Amino acid sequence: MEIPYTVKPRPDTGLYNAKVGIWLFLASEVMLFGALFSAYILLRVGAAAGTWPHGLLNVPLGTINTLVLITSSITVVMAWVSLKLNQFGRFKVYQGVTLLCALGFLGIKSFEYKDKFSHYEIVRTDGKIVDGHLVEKTKDHVILSGHVIDPSEKVEHGSHTPEHTEITVPTAEIKKMENYGPWHSTYLAIYFTLTGLHALHVIGGAVVIGFLWGPGSKMWKTDPERFTNRIEVSGLFWHFVDLVWIFLFPVLYLL
Amino acid sequence: MSLKAFHIVFVTASTLLAFGFGAWELNNYFVTGQTQSIVMGVGSLVAGIGLIVYGKAVLKKMKHISYL
Amino acid sequence: MQQTKHDAHHDHGHAHDHHEPGFWGKYVFSTDHKVIGIQYAVTSLIFLLLGFSLIMAMRWQLAYPGKAIPIIGGLLQKVLGDAAANGVMSADLYNAFGAMHGTIMVFLGVVPLAFAAFGNFVVPLQIGACDMAFPRINMASYQVFVIGGVIMMVSFFIPGGAAQAGWTSYSPLATVIPTQGQTFWLVGMVFLITSSLLGAVNFIATIIQMRAPGMNWMRLPFFVWAQFVTAFLLLLAFPPLEAAGIMQLMDKVAHTSFFLPTGLVVSGQIAAISGGGSPLLWQHLFWFLGHPEVYVLILPAMGIVCEVIANNTRKPIWGYKSLVYSSLAIGFLSFIVWAHHMYLTGMGTKISTFFQTTTMIISIPSVIILTCFFITLWGGSIRFNTPMLFCLSFLPMFGIGGLTGLPLGFNFSDLYLHDTYYVIAHFHYVVAPGTIFALFAGIYYWYPKATGRHMSEFWGKVHFSLSLLFMNLIFQPMFVQGLAGLNRRLYDGGATYAGLAEPAAGGMVGIPQFFLDLNKMISHAAWALALSQLPFIINFFWSIKNGKKVTSDNPWDATTLEWQTPTPPPHGNFLKEPHVYRGPYEYSVPGHSKDFTPQNEPERGASQTASAKSH
Repeated sequence: MEIPYTVKPRPDTGLYNAKVGIWLFLASEVMLFGALFSAYILLRVGAAAGTWPHGLLNVPLGTINTLVLITSSITVVMAWVSLKLNQFGRFKVYQGVTLLCALGFLGIKSFEYKDKFSHYEIVRTDGKIVDGHLVEKTKDHVILSGHVIDPSEKVEHGSHTPEHTEITVPTAEIKKMENYGPWHSTYLAIYFTLTGLHALHVIGGAVVIGFLWGPGSKMWKTDPERFTNRIEVSGLFWHFVDLVWIFLFPVLYLL
Repeated sequence: MSLKAFHIVFVTASTLLAFGFGAWELNNYFVTGQTQSIVMGVGSLVAGIGLIVYGKAVLKKMKHISYL
Repeated sequence: MQQTKHDAHHDHGHAHDHHEPGFWGKYVFSTDHKVIGIQYAVTSLIFLLLGFSLIMAMRWQLAYPGKAIPIIGGLLQKVLGDAAANGVMSADLYNAFGAMHGTIMVFLGVVPLAFAAFGNFVVPLQIGACDMAFPRINMASYQVFVIGGVIMMVSFFIPGGAAQAGWTSYSPLATVIPTQGQTFWLVGMVFLITSSLLGAVNFIATIIQMRAPGMNWMRLPFFVWAQFVTAFLLLLAFPPLEAAGIMQLMDKVAHTSFFLPTGLVVSGQIAAISGGGSPLLWQHLFWFLGHPEVYVLILPAMGIVCEVIANNTRKPIWGYKSLVYSSLAIGFLSFIVWAHHMYLTGMGTKISTFFQTTTMIISIPSVIILTCFFITLWGGSIRFNTPMLFCLSFLPMFGIGGLTGLPLGFNFSDLYLHDTYYVIAHFHYVVAPGTIFALFAGIYYWYPKATGRHMSEFWGKVHFSLSLLFMNLIFQPMFVQGLAGLNRRLYDGGATYAGLAEPAAGGMVGIPQFFLDLNKMISHAAWALALSQLPFIINFFWSIKNGKKVTSDNPWDATTLEWQTPTPPPHGNFLKEPHVYRGPYEYSVPGHSKDFTPQNEPERGASQTASAKSH
């Protein structure tokens, strides 16, 4: 006996096996990201008043990445429709664009990560805080491009950021120096965890889509219906990954 | 749910995001008066309308494909 | 072990495939659901024994605190070093063993046996499918499970030993213990969660897509329903724990503060962390898995009990639909009761009241299921074979476990009972003489199908009676200890808080000596329970080659489809695709020549075509 409904849908459910499988998998993914979003809410609600940071992330970059992912969703659907219309050449083009979008997204994301890891906060021995990007670090001093904050002065909410200048801090005056990694605050912790996990999903999706675009596309000649199903299943996963970003972007960048 | 159905869901969510983001940026503009905000805000609203048009077109194109 | 099975198969000469794969292909990298089921069964039985061994060592420390462990003390010292200096169990080792006992029993023992092993072997057969929907994912699920198990085992031997913060791994404790045991635990858990995720997807897809013609939803054996609901629980409840595990791993490795509050003091120093985290968040996410997990442990057991009871009372199950709807209700409700584990965390009386209410509601479907089984027994002409004996004792044992849970579900009585031995007794009654008895029943019941031979009835009954006796001798006294207020986390079994002989003379009033002496009796019962598993272990392996041969493919005269295959079923299971014409429990139907009517037996006459169409 052969395993039934691997390609053709089962009449009473209307689905082929892999589609049931991927949707069940996506259901569990919803719970995974749902739990992390709940964690975000709990941490934010539980944060002491005024300590939750705003405007740490670069909104234009986030917007570009959102556009990139929306574009990739459109091309992934077009690739699938092309196969349904028996246009293999157009499938190759569309899915190629999807892959480029995936790479572009990861490129921009890694730039944002690097920006955070080179962003330092130095607490000086006089209690003042120097906040900015690392320019130079030697044995006896550190140069940051940023500004000085005096915690004892009250800063008005909404006042725009001061001019960036190069500030040299002698090593002897450094009480504590820490970059904006996940260890810096719970906001950055959840930011790195959520976007990191999302990026892993993007990588996973890109690997599968890349395989089906390259060596895996040989199946089109032998079993076109099954190949089309594979493209649909990978497209469903890709849509889920993009949908997560549609939620991540406003939650992490805007609110 | 086929890729078609999920795509419609996705486009709907993206449209909502576009309008929401547009409103957010315009609000920013009224508070700070930065040019960048009004450009992004208006751009986002236009993108939202574009997504609606796209959604309608794609529904038409995929008329023969099942939602299941 | 695999080797033994290998030989057994050759003895029978059941070489059925067109091209016979080699040893590795057939027994290690197999995609056949039955082989994977047996792999899971053997692996998880070994883990059960290992988890039991850990608690046996701990029971020595509880009964005779500070004394060198006999027999294995020297070995422990040799393997684990200072943690067992002079053969005495140190507090760190006690904590590690305690944490790993829970972890192994739940995640590596009972769940893989109940869900993965029985589910894999039985479900495709019972729904008339040739295999699981995704055979290679099925194989991957087992392999990932083994990797997770190996990581857990390796953690015993790293510097500082295995995780020490309990199977619940509450933060900040789990994070601040300065060894890497917890990191291994978390990485191991990620593998185990992945494995159960792959399994759950596969089971649900199989049950939805692969049912034989005529096998509509209300003709599924209850065991399949139980596995179906269980798979959904695993699918949806595990990911939040995975998320929590990732966050705790970040706390441990990347020094974030997800679960570490501001101002956390470790060893008298304010910890160098960013703070702002929430210890309660971990507990919420953990118990969001933890409570559905309880039903993951019990539902497959109920499924097995249902099959065995119907078969041995020779009667249809009373209230099949009630069973199905109750199991669905349990599945749903189990997602909204989790915080009854957290009454003492100060999350607020309103939230406590909500979870107290849902907890009381979820007991209703459980009672319905148990009641259906009891009523099924009524007026039956019962065959008292080994699987049936285990199932019959499951009913009262699970009953005790369930009913003693009610005082824990009410927050006013939980305030007193929380974290006492009463809690241990309660959930062990559910899982040990409850679930594990049902699993034993399942092993004795399906063994003839898997191997073509029966296990010895006599030794099965010896195994049963001794296990029943000692299980009760272990856990009944714990209720008594718990009601006396004995805390469950004391490394010396409560000796520190022993009452004074003459409390009237002044000083502290502690735990009366009687309750501490129970520790000794419990420990002796535990070791005796271990000895009474020997008949089972020997029986299990001896019968592969020497058991009584089955005389037919359906030795128990059962109705469900797994018995309508060759024995043992070949790759692909059925010789021709089965058609299903009736419900799963048509025993003693009036007017039939036999007292059982298999699901695939056509109706006589014209109704044949009609029922074949309805799928």
